Amino acid sequence: MLDLVHEWLLRPNFIVFVTLFLWGLYIMVVHTNLVKKLIGLYILQTSVIFFLVAFSSKEGATVPVIRPDSMPVDAVEYANPLPHALTVTAIVVQVATLGVSLALVSAAYRKYRSLDENEVLQRAE
Amino acid sequence: MSMGMSILLFLIPFVAGVALPIVTARRSAWRQPIALGAIALMTLVAAYNLRIVLTQGPIEYALGGWAAPIGIAWLNDSLAAVVVLAVSTVSLLTLVYGRVVVPARLERSVSYYTLILVLLAGLVGIVFAADLFNLFVFLEVSALAAYALVGASGGKGAVYAFRYLLLGSLGASLYLLGVGHLYVATGTLNMADLATRIPDLLTSTAVAGGLIYIFLGLSIKMALIPLHGWLPDAYQNAPETVSPLLASTVTKVALVAWVRIEYSLILPGAEVSAVPVLVLLEEVGVLAAVVGGALALIQTDLKRMFAYGGIGHVGLILVGVSLGNATGFAGGIFYLLNDSVMQAVLFMIAGALVHGHGVRTLDDLRAMGRPSPWLTGALIVVAVGMVGLPPTGGFFGKWNIVLGALEAEHYLAAFSVVASTLLTLGYFVRVFAAWFHRPGATSAEAPMAPGSLMASLGVASVALIALGIFSDPIFKVLIDFVSGGGI
Repeated sequence: MLDLVHEWLLRPNFIVFVTLFLWGLYIMVVHTNLVKKLIGLYILQTSVIFFLVAFSSKEGATVPVIRPDSMPVDAVEYANPLPHALTVTAIVVQVATLGVSLALVSAAYRKYRSLDENEVLQRAE
Repeated sequence: MSMGMSILLFLIPFVAGVALPIVTARRSAWRQPIALGAIALMTLVAAYNLRIVLTQGPIEYALGGWAAPIGIAWLNDSLAAVVVLAVSTVSLLTLVYGRVVVPARLERSVSYYTLILVLLAGLVGIVFAADLFNLFVFLEVSALAAYALVGASGGKGAVYAFRYLLLGSLGASLYLLGVGHLYVATGTLNMADLATRIPDLLTSTAVAGGLIYIFLGLSIKMALIPLHGWLPDAYQNAPETVSPLLASTVTKVALVAWVRIEYSLILPGAEVSAVPVLVLLEEVGVLAAVVGGALALIQTDLKRMFAYGGIGHVGLILVGVSLGNATGFAGGIFYLLNDSVMQAVLFMIAGALVHGHGVRTLDDLRAMGRPSPWLTGALIVVAVGMVGLPPTGGFFGKWNIVLGALEAEHYLAAFSVVASTLLTLGYFVRVFAAWFHRPGATSAEAPMAPGSLMASLGVASVALIALGIFSDPIFKVLIDFVSGGGI
């Protein structure tokens, strides 16, 4: 057991990721306020992006731009650009999702004058 | 020319979808013809593409001219071509149907047509993508369009669209997490490249965990029991024109995405029976088929009943494709094509009843006067297909799933197909009992259905029977696909 805890503590990034992920999920499940649910979703999505960034980190590495004087290229010196490209795309997707969800929440609010899920569902029936 | 067919199929709805708001900003009457024209063109191109793929074999397209391991590849193979043809045909039918049965506010709404076209572009992307991250992006493109379409008429629809969005985005995050795991373990996102590296790594917890996350994410999107919670509410409250389109495409394409991942990444390196989790998938499918059918049986709202029926059928298809033999696979995918058309017809009938007669529940149906004979005819054809009787395609799909299950000696799977058939028969008996019940002695002439409704229901019913009659060549294509070494 102690070995396991020790192993976990060697990877603080992943502890942060797991905490954020579960925290986001918890907020989504527990809160009845629609905007709070949205915040939970946002935290959850951010935790996944954090995961992508965390595993691509590398000590002592530099930006992967190859200049004429950096030949021959030694891959060990550079950070892997691909996870960052994925991250940027995932953030764009996340922002688009946020936009659509806010539009839906405001449509529901205009009609039912409440942000509480139970009240909204009660008025919708 | 044949190289770029896949990208052309994506660009037709995408360009039309982006151009539509600009071109028709002041000409609202043009919106519907442009959208219809784009989807009709796409259907023709998809049919031509299927012919090309069947004669020339799979065609890979490297986006931006960067070849596969570095760039993003799209794979245009027989599975993708068949599914794209089915998706575009069904969307064309539902759009034609939408000419009559459309809520007044949506008829000329620019966002409605744009969203449909963008949804289609996303679905085409999911089917063709041979890159896990590219698949994620298109999954979200189509999902965002789907959320917005469900909430398009505002009010109650918006509330349920929001709940759909919460669960759908959770699914997408899980999928992305899985992709991250696979990337960490293998260092690539290209499916063909992954297929060469994963077989050696199947015992690694990162790969196993990644694949499980991917399946969990996609199973929310395909509404697999017990992750189906969003679907009945969303489809029940979506605008009448939207539910047939979503029911017949979104969940099915998510399932196709899983099939592609399973068959191109895992199965080349391992037998189904050797990986315990894959065996479990079949049991999940069995559960979904039986529970979905049972839940459909106790519904009183027609749209909800059909939605639960669709959930049960997703389980059946999953049973077929998880059996790990060619017969089961061909049966599952063939049933998926059929189910796509059947769901479209069912929700078209339900929408036409709401729109034309104000009928939502079985009780309303019992009190209703004589419906149009076209509705009755389509309902009979689709019921025969759903239950799975010989002239329609549904029979051949289920038959092959059962044969595959017996071949693999999984008797529980074979039983689930039979149980699901009986449950389907059960809820259609309820529908028919209400349908042919006439209150008092009303001898009023049956109302004539509008032309577009007749056309879409007629074509869809003919398609259901044609799928049954021409099932042999389709099965041959699917069996060739799977025995030709996966993708």
